[in-house]
Amino acid sequence: MTADTRGATPRTATAVRILPALLLIGLALVGPWIAPHPIDTPVTAPYAAGTGEALLGGDQLGRDVLSRLLAGGRDLVLASLLVAVLVTGTAAVLGAVGAVRPLVGRLVERIADVLMLLPSVLAILLVTLSWPGGGRFAVIAAAVVLGVPYAVRLTAGAAAPVAQAGYVEAAAAGGERLWYLVVREILPNLRATVLTLFGLRFVAAVYLVATAGFLQVGPQPPAADWALMIRENSAGILLNPWAVVAPGAAVALLALSVNLAASALAPQTGRKAVPVQ
Amino acid sequence: MSHSRDQRSGPEDPVHDTPVGEAEPEGSGDPYAKPERPVADGPAVRVSGLTVAAPDGRILLQDSSLTLSPGRLTALTGPSGAGKTTLLRAVTGLLPPGTTRTAGRVDVLGHDVFALPERELRALRGKRLAYVGQDPGSGLNPRMRVRTLIGELAVDRRPEAVRALLAEVRLPDDGSLAARRPGALSGGQQRRVALARALARRPEVLLLDEPTAGLHPELRDEIGELLGHLAREHHLAVAFSCHDPEVVERYADEVVTLGTHLPPPRTHSHTRPARPRKEHRGGPPVLQVRDLHVAFGGVPALDGVDLTVAAGSAAGIVGVSGSGKTTLVRTVVGLQRASSGTVHLAGTPLRTGLRGRGREQRRAVQLVPQNPLGALNPSRTVGATLGRPLRLHRRCAAGEVRERVVDLLEQVGLPPAFADRYPYELSGGQRQRVAIARALAADPEVLICDEVTSALDADTGAAVMDLLTGLRERRGTALVLISHDLRLVADRTDTVTVLESGRVVESGRTAEVFTAPRHPTTRALLGTAEPADLA
Repeated sequence: MTADTRGATPRTATAVRILPALLLIGLALVGPWIAPHPIDTPVTAPYAAGTGEALLGGDQLGRDVLSRLLAGGRDLVLASLLVAVLVTGTAAVLGAVGAVRPLVGRLVERIADVLMLLPSVLAILLVTLSWPGGGRFAVIAAAVVLGVPYAVRLTAGAAAPVAQAGYVEAAAAGGERLWYLVVREILPNLRATVLTLFGLRFVAAVYLVATAGFLQVGPQPPAADWALMIRENSAGILLNPWAVVAPGAAVALLALSVNLAASALAPQTGRKAVPVQ
Repeated sequence: MSHSRDQRSGPEDPVHDTPVGEAEPEGSGDPYAKPERPVADGPAVRVSGLTVAAPDGRILLQDSSLTLSPGRLTALTGPSGAGKTTLLRAVTGLLPPGTTRTAGRVDVLGHDVFALPERELRALRGKRLAYVGQDPGSGLNPRMRVRTLIGELAVDRRPEAVRALLAEVRLPDDGSLAARRPGALSGGQQRRVALARALARRPEVLLLDEPTAGLHPELRDEIGELLGHLAREHHLAVAFSCHDPEVVERYADEVVTLGTHLPPPRTHSHTRPARPRKEHRGGPPVLQVRDLHVAFGGVPALDGVDLTVAAGSAAGIVGVSGSGKTTLVRTVVGLQRASSGTVHLAGTPLRTGLRGRGREQRRAVQLVPQNPLGALNPSRTVGATLGRPLRLHRRCAAGEVRERVVDLLEQVGLPPAFADRYPYELSGGQRQRVAIARALAADPEVLICDEVTSALDADTGAAVMDLLTGLRERRGTALVLISHDLRLVADRTDTVTVLESGRVVESGRTAEVFTAPRHPTTRALLGTAEPADLA
């Protein structure tokens, strides 16, 4: 879209599109320290409407919704980012290796096919039941195992034509090892695909981690957590809608803004791969 | 990787103010001279009429003679494959595996090494003769520290003696060097440790294979001076092979040039030189393809193809589109698996497919592909693309890569500023030339060009072909040209192979095939006036 404009304009446009995600993630990370009230002490009546004291009103126990909102995002954001990075990174490397070594590629795809048959909620319950003390890490592990099969199909498909390109052949014929081919020759040319995939996997990770929180797998009351807030306060949605809408909106905004940033970072012009054949 | 090594090696390479001849190590005046050594009056090594043959009957070394005298520095020069290494190894009495001596004798310090019993030969090699190979780094045990490496064979194992030896090879021990392992040394340092290890035995004859290869000029000069110093001060007979005329001219007392009188190969008639006035064209076959079969999903693409390319010659491959020209060369470089048949590089069989081939084998055969658009990685600059083979195959010192890249760009007629460009900023012809430069960077023995001039204008195309021809004559690089441009093939090749539907229908000297074609396909090809119509 900004393909032929030069100078500061495309850079500014990119910055503007990255900014919301940075702000939101930054706010979630420092939230616990800037919360105006303690997250576990009632400051107002249960499901009280917003006042000057508690801007977004009170939750089921009269605790400050704004404070809990500020405090409840950090774990979700960190877990989702970690899952998205792990899933995208693993899938990108596996896909590229599979494109260079067809035998490995076929093996990876068959395993992915099997894993994809597993419903995600069932998988989370399975992992957390078999690893009761795992907490967040159990959820993260489950989300990675569930995410990689989908992602690897995509990266394998994107890497296949790149692996056939003349420059990869030239590098292989020139004596380069597999690792160099994957990391230096193929992956840099999959940057757009990998970044887009990262955005998608982040949304999926937020969804999955929030689902786990909603199912009370992971953080337990009285911890502040956006997903937990939605579940705890859904009974009083008519009395104080903010107690449910605010964390819901936060989850949605987070997913949207990260996706926007990922697509802004994907190269739009120039160094993209030349069409092969 | 090599860059950081270079930095590490920086501080401990002191600048020598004193002239080399006076640079005596501290402590005992001469750390390795044999005090009881008799004053040699005759030559230390005399090789006469030595002929060495490869297992397939190819002559590696023909009727060679070499005399090494104590106190003299002798340089062996000649094109790649002229037998420099073979001759040096013959002096140690150990020929490369599979090769045999068919004539001549080698006398070292009064012994005929090929007649000497194994035990005595080993004693001779262990005590009086030292050989430092082309890649000394690979000859050093990576798990041993420098002091152990040098002390292992030393006559004098005291730490002071080791330190004196290190100082002698311009590697003064800064306290940590002797405790390092080869992996923590730069290439130049490894080379000097190997030299110190050789000197530790106090040999009388020192043989070095390409001691200055891949070193930057300063280090190269240091090694050259060191060798001269060793020969003169310690009365060693030193022989080294070298392809750097500057070093040879500056440091050698005597020069022996090999490989200029190689006999014509005993192979197919069509590998014989078409124009005998060019010396290189009669070299041994560097590339031999025998009875190659390739099929794509059961459909044969190549059906029993033979191809022989002599070192330093140019072979053309012609045929209509789809006749299997590209498949043939892709199989040769290993990008395509063959269902049967063999490919030999300089007598060594190559595996079909890339995975069985070593890095050195992959380097030796380079292909400039047909499609210039996909041939360059779009996310790397031209400079990075050209620098990579230089570093990977250690074609030059880390500090010289940039210089060499500019040099390569100039050779293919591109300005130095192109090093910072990305492929999308280049035209097809420019990309084609970068692809050629990348192949040249690997310094191949066989360069295969698949329609390289097709994307170039006539003048640039001619300039590129002149470059390739010059390379062939200077370095003895064999050239394989695929082209639809029959005039180009006629002008630039010695032999030609005509393909049709995956079979060789005719092959022989280019001049003969093109003037008196025997096969209808060849006649049909030649009957078309304009090369462009052939596609």
